Amino acid sequence: MLGRRQPPDPDAFAAEVLAFLDPLYATALRLTRNRADAQDLVQDTLVKAFRFANRFERGTNLKAWLYTILHNTWRNSRRDAARDTVEIDSERVEEASSASTGPMESDTPEQLLLRDTLDADLQGALDDLPEAFRQAVWLRDVEEFTYAEIAQMLGIPIGTVMSRISRGRRLLYERLSASHGPARVGAGGR
Amino acid sequence: MKESCRRTDERLASYADGALPAAEHAEVERHLAACPPCRRAAAHEEGGRTLLRERSSHLKCEALPPGLRTRCEALARDYTARSHAPSWRAGLARGVVAAVAIVIFGGLALSFATHRSDTVLAAQLTADHVKCFRVFAKDNSPGLDAADVEHHLRDEHGWDVHVPPSAPEQGIQLIGARRCLYGEGTMPHLMYRVNGKNVSLYMLGGTRRPPAELTAFGYRSRIWSRGATTYVMVSSDSDADLVRAAQYVMQKAQ
Repeated sequence: MLGRRQPPDPDAFAAEVLAFLDPLYATALRLTRNRADAQDLVQDTLVKAFRFANRFERGTNLKAWLYTILHNTWRNSRRDAARDTVEIDSERVEEASSASTGPMESDTPEQLLLRDTLDADLQGALDDLPEAFRQAVWLRDVEEFTYAEIAQMLGIPIGTVMSRISRGRRLLYERLSASHGPARVGAGGR
Repeated sequence: MKESCRRTDERLASYADGALPAAEHAEVERHLAACPPCRRAAAHEEGGRTLLRERSSHLKCEALPPGLRTRCEALARDYTARSHAPSWRAGLARGVVAAVAIVIFGGLALSFATHRSDTVLAAQLTADHVKCFRVFAKDNSPGLDAADVEHHLRDEHGWDVHVPPSAPEQGIQLIGARRCLYGEGTMPHLMYRVNGKNVSLYMLGGTRRPPAELTAFGYRSRIWSRGATTYVMVSSDSDADLVRAAQYVMQKAQ
């Protein structure tokens, strides 16, 4: 981190940052669940990215760097609420997870993938996940970052990243596959 | 939760991702074969993972709200403009900063044009020349019509000056006209491009100076007078093109 950085070429850097606008917005939208907040978050992220461009080390992963800024910005913008929400959510989800391993099997992943409304259902189920799990599964399974990258972005240990990914995936599947709606878990950040 | 279940539970994400070392992978499989609750958890994990990955391109596909791209592009332009700014400041640093210091510490005297030495005058106008071309002239600045510029100077500043027009056959193009802020803002500053090189012509009304040619901070200044007006031409060097341009401007500027 303290190594000598090579500042990016401004024109190339600006163009590369703009190339990530679409995925940044999609991620911001899943994070905020609200278009107005997502726009603000993306703009704030770019303002910071350009202001601190000299801290970006050329040749490293620009996308991961931008996502780190995005998540930090989001975290800071709601610092008061965020920490508690994650804790509370984790506990409630833990309960919900163990409760839902009961006998309510229904659709297999293959059957779910054939469902007409899958995209809408999936998006809804994602948005209903507690924020900590939503972030983790989104970054891993949609954006395909490594555990280490996610750990750095969210500022949490790798073990916690894996556990959140795991909980998020299972909860998502359980909600989508249950034929009669599973107990709704209080979604974080509402 | 049993210890073996807990150990399996911790590894289910990497297990589903196929990221476990072979020995650990085999250990998880052995446990899953023997433990229905963990098997169910692993199936759910795999189910959620499959759904997300199968549909990731759809999930990512969100239309940007109108205006967001434009605003972000504006942020990018601000950034690149700011990033390029230091290079011209660095360019100025050699000497023009010193020239600015002369202006500040030397005072913007009312009669600087008549009482200060040629050196100070050249330094001040060199600073202005560099600043105006950096800030106001674009590489692709279009040529201006001399008559339009004369009208502009008359309407905006009340100056009745003759503006030497562009001379394409000599590679001379009139690209700008401003009020020079030195000497109490009483000077027209005409900006030309001569075969790609920047040339400024300043007109100081109501004063005469003997002809002089000098270098200030690496820029060439030619001073001459006609009637009650002193002309100063500033350019980056003095090759043949610029000498010819100077002669042209001297003839036409009267």
